[in-house]
Amino acid sequence: MPYTAEISRRNPGCFLFLLDQSASMEDPFGGGEQGRRKADELSTIINKLIHNLSIRCAKSDSIYDYFHVGVLGYGQDTVVSPAFDGALGGRDLVPMSEIADNPLRIEDRTKKADDGAGGIVEQSVKFPVWFDPKWAGGTPMCSALRAAADVAQRWVSEHAKGFPPIVINITDGEATDGDPAPEAEALKSLGSDDGAVLLFNIHLSSAPGAPVELPATPERLPDQFAKLLFEMSSPLTPFMIGRAKELGMPADEGSRGFVFNAQPVQVIQFLDIGTRPANLR
Amino acid sequence: MSFAAGDEPHPIAVDAFSCAKAGNRREEYEDAWAVRGSDSPRAARLAVADGATEASFSALWAALLAESWVRSRASGADFPRRLAAARRLWARKVRGRRLPWYAEEKARRGAYAAFLGVALVPRTGAFRAVAVGDCNLFLLRGLGPALRLARSFPLERSEEFGSSPFLLGSVARPDDDPSPHVRVTEGIVPGDGLLLLASDALSAWLLRREEEGRPAWEAVSPLGIEDGLDFEALVGEAREDGCRNDDMTLVRVVPRP
Repeated sequence: MPYTAEISRRNPGCFLFLLDQSASMEDPFGGGEQGRRKADELSTIINKLIHNLSIRCAKSDSIYDYFHVGVLGYGQDTVVSPAFDGALGGRDLVPMSEIADNPLRIEDRTKKADDGAGGIVEQSVKFPVWFDPKWAGGTPMCSALRAAADVAQRWVSEHAKGFPPIVINITDGEATDGDPAPEAEALKSLGSDDGAVLLFNIHLSSAPGAPVELPATPERLPDQFAKLLFEMSSPLTPFMIGRAKELGMPADEGSRGFVFNAQPVQVIQFLDIGTRPANLR
Repeated sequence: MSFAAGDEPHPIAVDAFSCAKAGNRREEYEDAWAVRGSDSPRAARLAVADGATEASFSALWAALLAESWVRSRASGADFPRRLAAARRLWARKVRGRRLPWYAEEKARRGAYAAFLGVALVPRTGAFRAVAVGDCNLFLLRGLGPALRLARSFPLERSEEFGSSPFLLGSVARPDDDPSPHVRVTEGIVPGDGLLLLASDALSAWLLRREEEGRPAWEAVSPLGIEDGLDFEALVGEAREDGCRNDDMTLVRVVPRP
């Protein structure tokens, strides 16, 4: 059965994030408060995704390398390059333990939490930051998908029996170097013995509209960019559909790994690394 | 590990076997088991707990749950509501440490474990079992080649073993009441029977073999497993046979003739 390979330290999984860092990401984000740019939204999403992955892999006082993670940025017309800065600069795939130990900085923030007695208290939390907002030049999404294919190919050749890589592209959807659909198909044609590479898309649009998560059809999507990204996105595996439902997401048969103007930080939970308590918050 | 030592024959023989997930070190084993009173004719208590992979300090919590049960007088659905002392101890051991940011945040979410506790009267074989989550109890009859499953508790079919059960948490939360998830059963272990307490992967594998009409129970009876090496060999065969790679724990209770 495909997409059932064990994910463990011996058989790690691979997430590869593609970050649109083009000039259009400076434009206002249609799904958030006034004055918020798409680049701000993107950096919040990728920092939360990496944060959640770190927490998921945390075990007692260390991190288990259940996943290796790559982050490629694309912008400035033709440039696709590893997006980590600081100690991780220049690296395309990094074990989670190194990522968790090397954020650019850790900010102290507060969040509202249940006080256990029916009230709300402000709780101090650490907010690690790996990526700051960036924007410049065009949107070489085709080049980014080709670069992702190179990294994915290398991964599956080294992990032929493992769970295939999941590529998550975060973009405003307007490629400037051609039609990304064939490049997406080429990327998804790669795979391990366990299944084809999965490509998910997170669409951050300036167009206002209700967030859409994991749709099975493109009908509610507002423009051709959203529809194109939907068509490029892989269907969720049966396990992912089940897990998404457990997490309260609107997944169903045929749902694709696509969201529009939403923060899908729960996508990190879509892979099975062992017993996850139903009551874990 | 056997609890049948001593000159006087005890009403029951209790053996416990455990094995870490393949690829993990022994100290990364996150199940736990505990046995108390196996030499008593009146009251023996046994427990198996299975710490959740996706939580931190789960092994500690599983061990505290199992120990709390065997040292407790609770024998019914009240046990999961009497965890304040175990929770305090877990918090004290975890929060005294200096932790990196991710470990601190994960620890704040608490540890989780499945739990199965059995209170048994060895002289009569009467028992009561309490379960939250997917550690399973098997009551078998007909020791020898005719050994057969009489009861499976709390789960009865292999497909009921998912990867997201409700588990007991080390941090009490008002919206996390275990009461609706507590299962209790009672029964009698017959003189020609035996009782097994097992963690989830092993339980699911045994039930799947039963459902497929393949031999299951003799392999975990005293005829199949005498010591830890036998158990490790069985676990190896189970994994070859599609059993999920997980920590494995088995506690076996056999009435003496």
